[in-house]
Amino acid sequence: MLLEVFLVLGTVIIYFLFSKKKEETLPFKDGWWGKGQKPDTEEDTTIRPFKVETTEEELSDLFRRLDQARFTEPLENSCFHYGINSVYLRKVVSYWKNQFNWKKQVEVLNKYPHFKTKIQGIDIHFVHVKPPRLSEGQSAKPLLMVHGWPGSFYEFYKIIPLLTDPASHGLSDEHVFEVICPSIPGYGFSEAPHKKDFNSVSAASVFYELMLRLGFNEFYAQGGDWGWLICTNLAQIAPNHMKGLHLNLASVSKMGFTHLLSILLGRYFPGLFGFQEEDIRRMFPFLEKGLYRILSESGYAHIQATKPDTVGCGLNDSPVGLAAYILEKFSSWTDMEFQNLEDGGLERKFNLDDLLTNIMIYWVSGCIVSSMRFYKENLQKGIGTQKHEKLTVQVPTGIASFPNEIMHTPQAWAQKKYTNIVSFHFMPRGGHFAALEEPELLAKDILQFVGKVEKEQLWKKKRE
Amino acid sequence: MWQEILPNAWKSVLSRIRSFEYSQKNAVLVPVAALGVGGILICWLRSRHKIKTIEMGDGWWGSGERSLKGREDDSIRPFKIETSDKEIEDLHRRLDQARYTPHVEGAAFHYGFNSSYLKEVVSYWRNQFDWRKQVEVLNKYPHFHTTIEGIDIHFIHVKPSYVPHGRAVQPLLMVHGWPGSFYEFYKIIPLLTEPAKHGLNEGDLVFEVICPSIPGYGFSEAPHQQGFDSIATARIFHKLMKRLGFKEYYIQGGDWGSRITTNMAQMLPQSVRGLHLNIVFLGKQSLGRLISIMLGAYVPWLVGLSREDARRVYPFMQKNVYDLLRESGYLHIQATKPDTAGCGLNDSPVGLAAYILEKFSTWTDKSFLHKDDGGLESKYSLDELLTNVMIYWVTSSIVSSMRYYKENISKDPNLNAYNRFGVHVPTGIAAFPQEIVHTPRTWAKDVYKNIVTYSYMPRGGHFAAFEEPKLLAQDIMQFVRKVEQM
Repeated sequence: MLLEVFLVLGTVIIYFLFSKKKEETLPFKDGWWGKGQKPDTEEDTTIRPFKVETTEEELSDLFRRLDQARFTEPLENSCFHYGINSVYLRKVVSYWKNQFNWKKQVEVLNKYPHFKTKIQGIDIHFVHVKPPRLSEGQSAKPLLMVHGWPGSFYEFYKIIPLLTDPASHGLSDEHVFEVICPSIPGYGFSEAPHKKDFNSVSAASVFYELMLRLGFNEFYAQGGDWGWLICTNLAQIAPNHMKGLHLNLASVSKMGFTHLLSILLGRYFPGLFGFQEEDIRRMFPFLEKGLYRILSESGYAHIQATKPDTVGCGLNDSPVGLAAYILEKFSSWTDMEFQNLEDGGLERKFNLDDLLTNIMIYWVSGCIVSSMRFYKENLQKGIGTQKHEKLTVQVPTGIASFPNEIMHTPQAWAQKKYTNIVSFHFMPRGGHFAALEEPELLAKDILQFVGKVEKEQLWKKKRE
Repeated sequence: MWQEILPNAWKSVLSRIRSFEYSQKNAVLVPVAALGVGGILICWLRSRHKIKTIEMGDGWWGSGERSLKGREDDSIRPFKIETSDKEIEDLHRRLDQARYTPHVEGAAFHYGFNSSYLKEVVSYWRNQFDWRKQVEVLNKYPHFHTTIEGIDIHFIHVKPSYVPHGRAVQPLLMVHGWPGSFYEFYKIIPLLTEPAKHGLNEGDLVFEVICPSIPGYGFSEAPHQQGFDSIATARIFHKLMKRLGFKEYYIQGGDWGSRITTNMAQMLPQSVRGLHLNIVFLGKQSLGRLISIMLGAYVPWLVGLSREDARRVYPFMQKNVYDLLRESGYLHIQATKPDTAGCGLNDSPVGLAAYILEKFSTWTDKSFLHKDDGGLESKYSLDELLTNVMIYWVTSSIVSSMRYYKENISKDPNLNAYNRFGVHVPTGIAAFPQEIVHTPRTWAKDVYKNIVTYSYMPRGGHFAAFEEPKLLAQDIMQFVRKVEQM
């Protein structure tokens, strides 16, 4: 009798501990990232309008550097296999000097309202776009969209109108959004942290404060690349404020024995591991599409996670070097096959004006080094070791899985972390920079996801 | 029972043979002798055949198609390094316009090269460093160019100024690595060509030193074709030595130089009198190795590790896995995207200096990571550090130097394909305490079958010739002396 009591008690305790652990929220990470000591005075919480500006001096300095650029001839027939091809790079630089109009692009950047506000000691930059018109009784839903590396808030410029004004673009206007695109601290026009240890949880905490300061008690969040991780952390910090989380990248950092098994056997017993046909098509052969791809594409992450100040130094001094470094990613991460092309296939999916505008944001703000430090702050302790990586996400989640993403994560794996996946769709085309490359596809997926969440009021269900 | 029979039988056989007539004895002895000698001959031939060598092969690295007509120009042309006002002004302009990023508070060298200290270095570079004077320093040894396999190979060739009567001069080929150059050997060369003058009385040894630049580095032309790896380099350097008239020579190397000279010993062992290394790369970890690593932490003597080995190798995970991961980002990006990684560095001398000098800091002493100035000037002068950087800058060779990583590593990530060939030439290893990884003698024996000397050096790191020229010279000499006595 006693044994049975103990057994039951033991089971209850274990279950309690076990389930409690999974549902634990991530604590909000407070911090002070400004220079020197935190002052005793109250922080200035005003939201100041901001305009991107340029000067003649800035332009002539840029042109001087472009003129004096030193290139190295590529090896014969190497295309993009050794990295960016300098023959193509020369063409880009020639366009940059002669046709690209930075003053005009600054006006393009300023077409949406920009703001800055001080949070935890640093100036946070963001773009805040409200819908031009609202139907009777309709309210705009706040949507936080977070960029990654080597991107910026500018990646969202094509998708913003599809979300704030869907009707004008042939999309259903059942749901209309006001979009907030901040720059991650250390990126673009957001001030870089002056202290160590500013990681994704810090960024999520800062953006959480931002949304509260803007008066939003409930909001949606969307992200890819670092934006994926920051929005995930936000969902773990403030699940009661987030109605829904939409991702175009859903990496899994904690790989266990089951993952290994599914890699070895998944091709032969897909059903057993929850793989769909499309999963198999995208993931296997695993050595080629998984392991080798990661190894051949992650050199930048390795050096940025260990010596960001070294690798970024030259890039902050040579705009051509900066362009080479960033453009290479826009090539391979859009389609790995582009490495076999002499021009890296860049202009098939993007136009040079957009690509150079993104690069100019890194150049004029001088933020390449601080953008790279984010890798060190997040990865230096290793992958899969941090607290937030062990916690799950209960917020209703929608995942748009693009075919040319660097590595494919099947739903079977994603749902171990994202326990409340409301929609998971295989996108027909597109790669890593989804918002810039396929804005319509991404917007449609966001809209249908939000539609599902709103219809069944899914955010309320999990709170009961 | 049979113990008695055997000696008796033998005795009777012997007595029978002794009783033979002379001619009959011959009839027995000659075939036996023939069999014996024949057997020895066969064994000897087979054992020689057992040493497998890497095939020499051939290559062409010039641009376009190889011209089939006519022989390659094999002249050896003297060469002088030059500079110009234009070159110096261009450099100064770039230094003046450098854009820095403030480091986070308390960064020291943990995030890479500290930008506050970098400003100081650049200030020295702009205002005190005298490139014209350094070019004269570089030209104090004779430089040459010669075309091999379609590309111009640069080298310096330093002969001893005075050779006492009857003393043999040993030819010594010394190969640099990345991010070094032939210039790393400038302090050690006089110790080897004129030992007596520098208080190194190693008796009867004197060297003539040849330091080439690896193709793609410094003043050697960069290959125009893909696939230029350490085997191709080894072959080209053998051809160089042959062209200079040497049949047998000593070779020495660290970093890539270690790999190249090892390949040279595997390719043409009959030309290599001795191989001296200041770093040993062993890619493969077998199961037996892993077990001995685990045991070695507790009972080093059981697995052939000395106390000094144990001190340098353990804690294993920290020193061989975590530290390596932390320091190998450059290797990863250069082995995959060299043209991208090097692009900005070829355009920004400040970026180039930060990238290269970071290695001279961390690879000289791991504790330098904690210093705000990376400890650079505690072991080197800014003049010599910047001269090495300038070699990469004025030759625009940073990208081609990085491609070497991709050519060697992407085919063979563990760098161990040729380890199965083994190295049979007499080998000397100088193990420096601050080298990036320590390879104990027992592990090195897996590949280097004929280790003649293995020395634990008292101090020094990766750039041994640059940092501790006297220690390295002494070790080379005691190694060569031993080999010559054999």
